[in-house]
Amino acid sequence: MALKINKLFDEEKKVWILKPYGEIDIYTAPKFKEILLNVIETRDSNIIIDGKDLEYIDSTGLGVLISGLKRLKETDKNITIINLRPNISKLFEITGLNKVFIVKEV
Amino acid sequence: MEEIKEKVNENEEVNMDHIKLSMPNKPEYVSIIRLTASAIASRIGFNIDDIEDIKVAIGEACTNAIRHGCNKINDTYDIDFFAYEDKLEIKIKDTGKGLCSLNIKEPKAEDLKEGGLGLFIIKTLMDDVKFTTLQNKGTIILMTKMLGVE
Repeated sequence: MALKINKLFDEEKKVWILKPYGEIDIYTAPKFKEILLNVIETRDSNIIIDGKDLEYIDSTGLGVLISGLKRLKETDKNITIINLRPNISKLFEITGLNKVFIVKEV
Repeated sequence: MEEIKEKVNENEEVNMDHIKLSMPNKPEYVSIIRLTASAIASRIGFNIDDIEDIKVAIGEACTNAIRHGCNKINDTYDIDFFAYEDKLEIKIKDTGKGLCSLNIKEPKAEDLKEGGLGLFIIKTLMDDVKFTTLQNKGTIILMTKMLGVE
């Protein structure tokens, strides 16, 4: 299955909102990385990732998120992840990444 | 592999189906393997949560085989599913150069790397995992998920 990512900059809150649809794995992670690093380059601000329609992510996708976060931390920005499905939320818990990113229920 | 064969021979009554795949080392096929694994797991009777665990674990193992195992263009790696009545065993075997480290550490928040999470995730999600890696001969990951174990 493919991956589609909607991106939008919320001018009011000064934050990027990224919404991935589908699966982030070894095949689609490079595309995700390109988009994530591109939005950071375009506008260096906090990022919200809405996981409502993210069906699958594995270590390659988590690696991309980590590299994005590292870039943002240079300027004291952060990544907030919202609406994760239970199976994906579990991955964040077992890897401890729920303490690295801001993971919120809603 | 040898070990599994012996086990079966010892007890002929063991009801096990063996499904074999040989996959090209291309990332675009990993989702097909995940779908195959979830179909087999569903047939055995695993619940949705367990199927998700199996999907992630096999995805990680295949990613590992493609990233670190296959070093030639057009190389392949093998996947064996052993479907029992009460468990699913999956073996992923590549013929690459072998992993340099099987020292799987729990990820640390203050020292995050972009790689190295895969094997840790497999160990956490499956009930039993055996890694065998041989310099220049490749890596075998044998992982088992038991039916009805929390």
